[in-house]
Amino acid sequence: MDDSTKLFLQRFMRRIPSYMLRTTLEKWGRLTAAQQKSIDFTQSKWALTEALLTICEENKLAMKHLIELEMIYIMDNPNQGMWYVLQLLDPEDDAHSVELMQFKEQFKSHLKELVRHVSIKIKNHTDQAVWIRIAWGDAFSRPNHLKPTFGVHYLQTPYVFVTNLTSKQKPLLSQAVVLSTRYQAIKDANLSGRKLTAIRDLLMRKYQQVFPTKYPSPLAENNQTISNPHIVKEQAEPAANRLHMACKAFGGGALPQLQSAVYKLKTKFRDDPNKTMTEREEPFRCVVKFESTNLLESLRHCASSGIASTPVTPLLSCIPLKGRNYFVITDNDSGPSSQTHQPQN
Amino acid sequence: MSLLKPFSKLPGLNSANILLVESEEQFQQSLADALVEETTFTVNVRLAKSLPLPVENEESRPRIDLVVFIINLTSELSLQSAEASLKCLDPGYFLGKVCFMVTNARSAAAPVERLDVARKLAASLHCPLLFAEDQTPDGVTNATERLLTILKVAAGLVPMATALYLSNLTRSTVPPDIEQPSFN
Repeated sequence: MDDSTKLFLQRFMRRIPSYMLRTTLEKWGRLTAAQQKSIDFTQSKWALTEALLTICEENKLAMKHLIELEMIYIMDNPNQGMWYVLQLLDPEDDAHSVELMQFKEQFKSHLKELVRHVSIKIKNHTDQAVWIRIAWGDAFSRPNHLKPTFGVHYLQTPYVFVTNLTSKQKPLLSQAVVLSTRYQAIKDANLSGRKLTAIRDLLMRKYQQVFPTKYPSPLAENNQTISNPHIVKEQAEPAANRLHMACKAFGGGALPQLQSAVYKLKTKFRDDPNKTMTEREEPFRCVVKFESTNLLESLRHCASSGIASTPVTPLLSCIPLKGRNYFVITDNDSGPSSQTHQPQN
Repeated sequence: MSLLKPFSKLPGLNSANILLVESEEQFQQSLADALVEETTFTVNVRLAKSLPLPVENEESRPRIDLVVFIINLTSELSLQSAEASLKCLDPGYFLGKVCFMVTNARSAAAPVERLDVARKLAASLHCPLLFAEDQTPDGVTNATERLLTILKVAAGLVPMATALYLSNLTRSTVPPDIEQPSFN
């Protein structure tokens, strides 16, 4: 075992919480049953690392095995760091028939043509996701395993989720993905979030959606009218209406957890009493950022409680509709572009 | 715009009707649940986000004995909504049948000026101003008790006392130095 492998294991042990170590090691399956039993998981991290190092020496485990261990951990706990979404465009005729083995081989060969020193590991997760781990090196250095890029691609969908990708490596990854998935182009989908599952659910519409309907829900459990006969809500109908409008815009039930939405305004300043600002030719540049632990939930509450007006402005409702949370608003297109919003949580 | 009138309907036997107006519709729900627990007389609670009340409920609505405006001091919208709703009340209500209930007055997020505005508002309308805690069950119970005391009088359930008489004793007054900056 060389020094870089040792360093990698030490770093990994520092990142993983002790209580997850046992299950992760079991899933890894590189340790014999006796070795598993010999590890005392109540020890300190430092002692555990030493114990693991000796076991790895015994079993002659190399870097490629330890990478597997890290991937297992990340696959189980993907909610670390920021995830960004890339969207593939213009599928070719055979794009729908790409299967895992073909994708694996093609991706590896395409990326290795572009960069000489690169280490790629591709694993298939239980939920049809293909996990790609890339450790990048440049022309003169070996792949740096301490700062790998992770990518997740669901076959037959046009989305790739990436984390820890620098702008230098982005074109390389994009090209390899485009070629191996049989698409023709790729673009930034303008969606990011801390929770991989949440942004996946948002893009693939895996949340409860509410469709426009003229009549109230026939399901009794949805109509919570059973309450004390002495308490009467005077404005129950508008309130139910608002709630329905809000659910129509953002979806019912539990919503995917998005952390932020950013609107970059490049519109002219419009405020009639304020002449000096309104008469300026150049656009008024500002950034409006909404932040919350669960942004969509907050926005839905704003709309249903009447803090924000209903029907929900297209600027807000297009977050789930288009699956984006970064918008640039310019004056050229007509319609909702001229509105500005105050941030609210 | 239909004004809500205090004496347009006949009172019910041994019952009192209270209208809670709150733009956020959070605290009014817990207050209402606590208010209807009262056993010595029947309490009917009507909840509203703002006034005027919808015309279609006019028939079923009993005579409202007490109107309570709940103002969350951390929200400007809450105060503005209450101010706007006041215009839809018949002047007769201000003879002791309106009270203001302020929440979150101790919160650091509530500017002091807003409390002053609320106090002046209550003082100018000769209404009592109550302070309540909406986060804890104890606070809700306290607020409920105070409201019930006023409600009993306003509904005419207390012999020898009238709402106008009570409001002379409980109405909010603005201290004369409220305009002056404090130096302490």
